[in-house]
Amino acid sequence: MKQYRVIGKSVPRKESWDKVSGRVKYIDDFQEVGTLHVKLLTSLYAHASIGKVDTDEAWKVPGVRMIVTGEDYPLLIGTTIKDRPLLAFDKVRYYGEPIAMVIADSEAIAIQAVSSIRVTYKVLPVVNSPVQAYQNDAPLVHEQVEQYQIDQDADGEGASGGIHPVPGTNIANRQGIRKGNIDRGFAQSDFIVEEIFSFNQSDHTAIETRCADVEIKKTGEVIIHSASQEPFEMKELISETFNIDEGKVQVHIPLVGGSFGAKTSVQLEPLAYVASKAVGGRRVRLRNSREEDIATSPVHIGLHAKVKMGCTKDGKLQAIKLHFLFDGGAYAERAIPVSKAAAYDCTGPYAIKNVWCDSLCMYTNHPYATDFRGFGRTEAAFGVERTIDIMANKLGMCPLEFRLKNAIQPGDTSPTQVLLNKSNLGDIRECLLQLKDLIDWDRGQRIDISDRIVRTKGISCAWKNGDPPPGVGAGAILTFNSDGSVNINSAAVEIGQGTKTVLTQMVAEKMKLSEDEVFIQMEVNTQMSPDNWETAASRTTFMSGNAVLRAVEDAIRQLKRTAAIILKVPVDELEVANKKVYKKTSPNISIDFSEIVYGFIFPDGKVAGTQVVGRGTYMIPGITDMDPVTGKGVQGPEWGVIAQAVEVEFDKRDNTFKLIRAVSVADAGTVLNYKGAETQVMGAMNMGLSFATREGFLYDDEGRVLTTQFRSYKVMHYGEQPEYIVRFIENPVKGAPFGSRGLGEHGIMGMPAAVANSLSLAANVSLQQLPLTPEFIWKTRLKAGEVY
Amino acid sequence: MLPFNFEYYRPSSINEAVELFEKLDQDGKKPIYLSGGTEITTLGRLNQIFTKAVIDVKGIPECNALDFKQNSVVVGAAHTLTQVWESKILPLLGEACVKIGDRTSRNQITLGGNLASQIIYREAVLPLLLSNSTFVVAGIDGIHQISVHKIFKEKLLLKRGEFLVQIKVNGKYRNKPFFIEKKRKSERVDYPLITIETLKIDRSIRLAISGLCAFPFRSYEMEKELNKTGISLEERIDKAVLRIPAPVISDIRGTSEYRIFVLRNTLLDALIDLEGVR
Repeated sequence: MKQYRVIGKSVPRKESWDKVSGRVKYIDDFQEVGTLHVKLLTSLYAHASIGKVDTDEAWKVPGVRMIVTGEDYPLLIGTTIKDRPLLAFDKVRYYGEPIAMVIADSEAIAIQAVSSIRVTYKVLPVVNSPVQAYQNDAPLVHEQVEQYQIDQDADGEGASGGIHPVPGTNIANRQGIRKGNIDRGFAQSDFIVEEIFSFNQSDHTAIETRCADVEIKKTGEVIIHSASQEPFEMKELISETFNIDEGKVQVHIPLVGGSFGAKTSVQLEPLAYVASKAVGGRRVRLRNSREEDIATSPVHIGLHAKVKMGCTKDGKLQAIKLHFLFDGGAYAERAIPVSKAAAYDCTGPYAIKNVWCDSLCMYTNHPYATDFRGFGRTEAAFGVERTIDIMANKLGMCPLEFRLKNAIQPGDTSPTQVLLNKSNLGDIRECLLQLKDLIDWDRGQRIDISDRIVRTKGISCAWKNGDPPPGVGAGAILTFNSDGSVNINSAAVEIGQGTKTVLTQMVAEKMKLSEDEVFIQMEVNTQMSPDNWETAASRTTFMSGNAVLRAVEDAIRQLKRTAAIILKVPVDELEVANKKVYKKTSPNISIDFSEIVYGFIFPDGKVAGTQVVGRGTYMIPGITDMDPVTGKGVQGPEWGVIAQAVEVEFDKRDNTFKLIRAVSVADAGTVLNYKGAETQVMGAMNMGLSFATREGFLYDDEGRVLTTQFRSYKVMHYGEQPEYIVRFIENPVKGAPFGSRGLGEHGIMGMPAAVANSLSLAANVSLQQLPLTPEFIWKTRLKAGEVY
Repeated sequence: MLPFNFEYYRPSSINEAVELFEKLDQDGKKPIYLSGGTEITTLGRLNQIFTKAVIDVKGIPECNALDFKQNSVVVGAAHTLTQVWESKILPLLGEACVKIGDRTSRNQITLGGNLASQIIYREAVLPLLLSNSTFVVAGIDGIHQISVHKIFKEKLLLKRGEFLVQIKVNGKYRNKPFFIEKKRKSERVDYPLITIETLKIDRSIRLAISGLCAFPFRSYEMEKELNKTGISLEERIDKAVLRIPAPVISDIRGTSEYRIFVLRNTLLDALIDLEGVR
């Protein structure tokens, strides 16, 4: 393995000191005098037709500047199916949906006015689950889905593979996988199991709630400040939706206070644009309360999954048939790409010749869904990995041995029929073998501590290929300071994942500098930086990293060219290090960067070289369209893999449990920043355990979300987490920066299944629903006659 | 953020406070007594509380009393839950206070605020019910000392314009054995599924519960069943469960069946602990 100087080192994040000392400014920390404030009026019902929206009383509140209702702007938007009104008109389709907004001198005034608006509703029957949505006689969330436009970028291209809502139903889209022959697969199987798994929608719960400022200048320029993962897509969307020249739209993103997929969806910005327009272009701020961030803004998707698996008696998997009903909520938006991605990687990292999957994105009267860390894999893995354990149990095989036996290898194909090799596939076998040691697997999966207390271990595997659409890329620009140090301009958004710091490490490594001599701008400004596809899909380091590395090469080329003239040494005999260009064979023949980065002029006026500006761009090659029926196609460059385990201590009387230990072994390709990678995986593991054991919306019978505050929607707190152990193996990827694999999401994906496998063993019942609350475990045991 | 403005008053005597209330009330300002202010903040931002004037009782000396003399414990209503716990003046009460909310909230929530809360749990009342405490209440017509059993029925029954000044507990309760357990849905910080507090006086056990029904209570009927002799612990618990005084609630934290399941286990732990059996 290659040895690096800076790559792999635990370089502290550039923004750490400001973060831990409270000096970092997020959107809502900036206060510009004269900003007006917007508040949304949101729906009290999950499905109702809107009668009169009476704003008379609201207008009487002093300080109200403007009130906008859905009727004023009957506009449909969406990045997949254009099905979502900016503000609801005619009817509301989820609890918390925006209906109107008040723009006022202060937020308090706006809130006061909003609570004075009277809306008359006629309540309609609700679609309260994806299963109900799938029934023939279900009420329709959208009556005329065939009349909606499909976004051009999303239709018929790439990972989206076309979008096909089914008229007269609640099916927003159906993505298939057809590999091999499913009937033959089951015919060859000695054992078949079929199980159902489910969980409700939930929330990302980023600390920073979503917030956007918009101002329209007299020149027509639209200035947006927002917490978002996708500044460039936002720019396009605003330009397209409101018919504004794209060059006139500027998006600024400072540091983002956590996102986890939440901030890939553009929701507040178009509303704020309309609000600003309504008050003559003045700067307005629209910020979510926690309740709005949970129910009004898009959420983590829910799922009802049927998993059927066939296996020979010696433990070789033959067939898997999956039927996913995703709870995409009221609007299609990004629930469609999530449900498609779940199909593409549906099997998990196992070699299965016969695969059949139908992944349906269902409309319901729930909040609409967007990306969530894991992007469909966390969701699919819960059912598939539980079923793997159920099957191993049926065969009487050790679940770890069973996984090893079926682990996918180079030479196998993915569910999307891509031939796998050592580069595009991580080594799941090696991960499992290391996991086995780290969790002391051989000391027993189940150990009785006392009459009441039992300790158990559960495992799970997961894999993920990032699936950006074809044709996406990134760009980077390098400039120099007069002392020869380097500045990076890259529009990757820092959402807490440490991307910016890793980019500085790459430049430092490649230019043989100290990482302290490389600087990077934290804020993104779409007018200043080259285009960068959204910061998502664990693809940012891959794309931005490649762009930055190319910019470094370009800068080095320029530096050498200038130095060659001055030193009178051919370019190919020169090397760079420590802010110098020197002759390889006699390093004392050298010139400092500081003398040449802004150009060099000889005493006679002859110019040796001009200012050095490094330029690098990158586009991911090889990604193709995906067939909507068979799923055949190349969805991304590589599959990262992870093996995970969770040990719990279960109280058989109370049905309560403690999380003792959680272990992950991931194939990092190459670790770029050790502590950064470790904490990314650890944070994701924590998120997965929280999701699996506590989270999940509760709805009432009318489809209203009951858990819109942190006093009702619980996430894991410090002191409740287990001991975390994270290890990496390194099988580099060709074409990736330093061979690294995506890592930001993998830590979450196997956690729900691992903890459910562990608790199922402890409680002696099969747990097939999330969250795994003590009450749910008690009820499951009660039904099974395990307790009385 | 609170979407309304209000006047803020901080009187330094009981008289000043009650007179202020009367005046502000006559002016139509819908005054509210404020102590820690957490509930005004949390309910106010949801438009569930509205006022044009708050009267902060934290500046009133009697509300800040913290004494043990003449065999009587006096705790002012303006003490925060953290202060009550840290003072160790009445462990029975302190241990109930420290189970409410999280540390940050307890640094703000006051004893009086918890007892007068609109949120149904009011767990600080459990030890006060068990110890037959006395509530000191001030109103325009003077200061009254009232038995907890008269003034706290499901909730604190204050007349308009009255506020809670102090609670008084007989000093003998400072060192009687008690058991308290708060069971939550799955977190360390949450409202209770149930909180039970039991106190042993001589050989009999007293029982108060929050979270089980829509209000906190002490149940003599349940106590009677629990104190029966000659039958097993489980039988005593079975009989006590039949005497729950009101419907058991079902909500996002747990169904009524589950709450009863948790209650049985917790009662068993309480009896084992206090009776020193098994």
